[in-house]
Order: sequence, then C-alpha cells, then structure tokens
Amino acid sequence: MKCVWCQQPIQMNWTLSQLFGRRPLQVPQLCAACLRTFAPIDAATACPGCGRQASPKLCFDCQRWQQQGPLLHHQGVFAYNAAMKAFIQRYKGLGDWRLHRAFQAQLIPSKRGVFVPLTSEPKHFASRGFDPVLGLFAHLPLRLWLQKADTPTPQAKKDRTGRLATPQSFTVRAGVVFGQAKRVILVDDLYTTGRTFYHAAAALQAAGFQGEITSFSLIR
Amino acid sequence: MWYSGMQLLDSEVDFDTSVAQAVPGLAAGRCQRCGQKGLVELPSGDDYCPHCINLGRVSSQTTLYRFAAPPLPPVEQPLTWQGELTPAQARIAAELVAAVQTKTEHLLWAVTGAGKTEILFPAIASVLTAGGRVGVATPRLDVVRELAPRLQAAFAHTAMAVRYGGVSWPQTTVALTVMTTHQLLRYYQAFDLLVIDENDAFPFVHDPALWHAVSAASRGAKLWLSATPPKRLQQAAKHGKIGLSILPRRFHGQPLPVPQVQIRKGQLPHKIPSKWVKALQQIMTTRQCLLFVPDIAWLAPIVQQLKVAVTPAVSSVHAADPNRVEKVSAFRQGQLRLLVTTTILERGVTIPRCAVVVLGADSQRFDAAALIQMAGRAGRAADSPDDPVWFYARHDTLALHQAVHTIRQLNARKSQ
Repeated sequence: MKCVWCQQPIQMNWTLSQLFGRRPLQVPQLCAACLRTFAPIDAATACPGCGRQASPKLCFDCQRWQQQGPLLHHQGVFAYNAAMKAFIQRYKGLGDWRLHRAFQAQLIPSKRGVFVPLTSEPKHFASRGFDPVLGLFAHLPLRLWLQKADTPTPQAKKDRTGRLATPQSFTVRAGVVFGQAKRVILVDDLYTTGRTFYHAAAALQAAGFQGEITSFSLIR
Repeated sequence: MWYSGMQLLDSEVDFDTSVAQAVPGLAAGRCQRCGQKGLVELPSGDDYCPHCINLGRVSSQTTLYRFAAPPLPPVEQPLTWQGELTPAQARIAAELVAAVQTKTEHLLWAVTGAGKTEILFPAIASVLTAGGRVGVATPRLDVVRELAPRLQAAFAHTAMAVRYGGVSWPQTTVALTVMTTHQLLRYYQAFDLLVIDENDAFPFVHDPALWHAVSAASRGAKLWLSATPPKRLQQAAKHGKIGLSILPRRFHGQPLPVPQVQIRKGQLPHKIPSKWVKALQQIMTTRQCLLFVPDIAWLAPIVQQLKVAVTPAVSSVHAADPNRVEKVSAFRQGQLRLLVTTTILERGVTIPRCAVVVLGADSQRFDAAALIQMAGRAGRAADSPDDPVWFYARHDTLALHQAVHTIRQLNARKSQ
C-alpha cells in the first residue's frame, strides 16, 4: 500500500478486531503524515449556512443568500490551505486520476439523502478524460440528475464579483424521475461563493423537485 | 532555436510545429517521453503516464513534438578559464576528451574534493569547438545552482541556459545547458556530450524514467561523474562496457580523512552522551563543524543541547527551511560555528577547516554513499586536509563498514 500523495509505503497497525471483524477493512489512501497537512474544518464552529471555518453565526454572505430563498446548509470537510491547493492543482490541473480516491474516508456526509454531483462541462471532460467530482465521490451512490452546459471561462479563473455574476448553466437531464426522494445532497469539490451550488439547487427546483436541498463539498 | 533538441507537448508549444517530428505520446503501452510502462486508464477510456506527470500529462490524446538539434557554428577557444590542472587531473581530462571523441560512455570516479568540474572543462571545450551541444545534468537543485555560475565563468563567451522546475526558460539558442535530471525528459537526441553529475543521488538512482531520459537525450558521449558511483555503473565499468577513470586523490594530494566510528548506547536525540559532547568541544576549538542527523525531528532537541554545552553559534537547517540559503551562507562566512543538518548538505558544499560529525550514523537512511559524501565535507582545504570525521552510532551496520572500507581503499590506491 502506497500513499497516493507522497508514494511512500503506508504502515498500518491493524488491530485483531479490525482484521477478524465483520466490517470490511478500511484501506487508507493517504499516509498519516500527508493527511496532517490538510486542515479539516470543525463543524461545531463553522457557519451554519455555508460551512465557513470559525464562524458560528450565520455569515454575511449567507444572510444575502437567505434573502433569495432557503439556505443550502453546506458542509465542507477541509479548508483551502496550501496543501489542498497543491492537491487540486495536481488532481484537476495536471489531471492525475490516481488521486481520485484520496479522500474517500473523509468524504462521508453526515446527512442521508440522494447524492447529486455537480458534473463538469463536456469540454473539460474531453480534455481531462475524467470528471473530477465523480472521481472524488465515486464511493457514494451518485445520481446523475444534473448536467452542465459549456461555459466560456471556468470559475477558477474569475474573481469574486465575476463568480457571483455567473449565469445559470445547469439543467436537469431529460427523463429524470425524482420519485420518493425527500432530500437531495449536492456534492462538488469546492464551495467558494456558493454561486454554483445555488444555481444547481435552482435548476432542481425549476424542474419540480419539492424536497429539501442541502450541499456537501471537499473544500470550503 | 531555443527548442532545438527538445520534445514538447501540445500544451507547451505555441509556435509552428511543422518542422517537428510528431509522435504519439503513448505507443506500445509505453510513455514515449519517459519510456515507462504502467500506464493508468482514465474513465474516458484513454490512458496516461503517471511517471512523468509533473512535467505535464502525456495521454493517448497527446502528441509529442520532437525538434531536431542542428549543429551550431564552430567556436575557437571557448574555454576562458585561466587555472591549471594538476598532472593527475590533466591525465584524467585527456582520457575524457578521448571518450568524447569516440562518442562512448565513460565513468569518472573521483573522490570528493578532487576538482571534478575543472577536469571536465577540456572535454566540454572540445565539443563546443566542433559546434556540438553540451548538457550538464544533476539530480540536486543545489548542485545546479552551484555549477551554473562556475561553468558560465569558465566558458564566458558561450550562451548558457539553466533549466529546472519552476523557472521560465531562456528563449535563445544555447550551446551549453545546465539542468536538473528531470528536465532531461524534455530532450530528445539533443546533446553531443551529456554529463551526469552526482548520479548516485536521490532521486536519480531509483528512478528508471531518469535513466531512460539520459539515453534518450544524448546522441554522443555520456559522462557519469561520481564520488560514490552506483553499483550498476561500477559493474558496467568492470566488465568493460563503459570506460572508467579513477581519481583517488584530492587536488591537494592528501588522503581523505578516515572516519572514526564510535559505538555507544545512548538516548539520542534527547541526550547526547557526555563523552561525545566533550569530543565536540575539543574539535570546535580549532574548526567549524557540520553535524549530520538522520531525521528532521532530531534537529531541535540537539541544537538545544549543543547551544548550552558547546557554542551559542549553532543553528539547524533542513530541506523545507525557509531560511536555508541564509543559514548556509552564514555558516560559510563563519558567523555560525556549528550547523546541524539533514542530508541536504551531504553534497556540493565546500567549507575550509570543517569537521564532520554524523549522529545516528547507523540509521537506515544513511547508506554507504551518503556516509562517504558526508565524510567528504571534511579536509577540503589544502591547509587542513586532516579535519576529523566522527561517525557516532548505536549499532554497527554494513553501510558504516562499507563507507570506511571504501575510503581506506581509495586512500591506499596510488595516484599513478
């Protein structure tokens, strides 16, 4: 077993109950030293609206989102620190698909519901050869309800105002049946301004989804 | 053209590629840039090469553009270096020139502090005179930074480029390129003389992609330089597959300091045995001292003890240290008397009148080559060739024996 990030062998000290228990063995993808370089967000002190770090009260951005409709009550797992930037650069920028399972042990949402990924644009899929979000959340049962049209500039290349002004590019795929679903959990790699998530939620509501919509991401 | 002899990806070229030979990035299950198997499949069904991905991804969709490297106009007297080689150095230099003329592969095994760089000058000059291209590659960035100004000074009128990850490339035609070994992956049949310095250093030895890069980037002579050549090259030389020159004496003609091994059970790094502290105090009265430790975690507790027991002019340095350059230069200038360091300073550092102490010399992280390199930091100056070298260990290891044995053997060899 090698750490997918530093390629050093991972030393595991299994306990007897882990080895002989009924649960499947959890094989770590990242070694302890690499995992320590990423900064997990403490959910107890995070903003209840967007999961922003160390903001126990509803933050200013969320107060603005609240005027437009119900909040997503977003949960982000890690802060966007230097190590995480390096990870995203390698995974999405260089296109190293081997990293897609790196955070599968950490990316477990606390709520139950239907997981709907915010898929990438067809253009990006063609150049990368994979969808980064589908890769990160490959361990969850995903429903491909949403699709994204090609946009001229990616979010990562815009400033804050530019991001917030982004027009809607999500639509619900043809033939999707919402069925008995009571809650949808939107999953994506990154929550920055929330623009993308709120567009996705609006697309679902426009297609007639009645239940609760919440969201979950690797990075806040 | 600056891209002569290079092989570049679609994403790296924004100019006319019609003169280039276009090859698919992957062929027959191998990456065409780094030559490695073990491709990874993408969900789209394409493959990509994970080995050399840091230089930009090569996938089934990628085209690799290979640019020819036409000969340059011949130059008269490219060497502007005024120094003189010792007779032993001159004899080896002549052997290297002969190897370059016959376009063969050659190993120069020269002890630490033998003046390897200067020995190279005639061979490099002979290629430049004929209008050839020369590449000098080394795995260590520190060594690139140290070599580049020395080469530029010796070949003052030659256009030279320095290439390593993260710097922008000079966009001019160059005859001489100094680079890290990873950059070799971007070259294809480019160099009439390729010199690989410190080829036994991490990450070169254990990376088959880099060995492949050396053969792909070269179209003439290959010169391997090392004080501690890897077994693979030693064997090849022994069987006559590649040429071999040995320089067992330093430029000042004195033997290498032989390490003294001390075995003592102690609680390193939290408590350095008092006997060793006394020995260190003794050394420090006349010399500076480099103290090597096997682990970054050892640095802080050891510095703390030495600050009280030996000298207040002590500091530590490691690879990720933000003040690394400043600390090393403070040590060079003598403001720091004692420097505690990890293996980053094992190569390419020359400090006159410097003793070497290796704590935890029995660590798995120190192989014989690393120990010889660390010992080689001592006795570099002509006025104190016998600086003490101490290996402090808790146990005996094979690497310790190999290191001491090799140094003794080289000392016993007559410099013919």
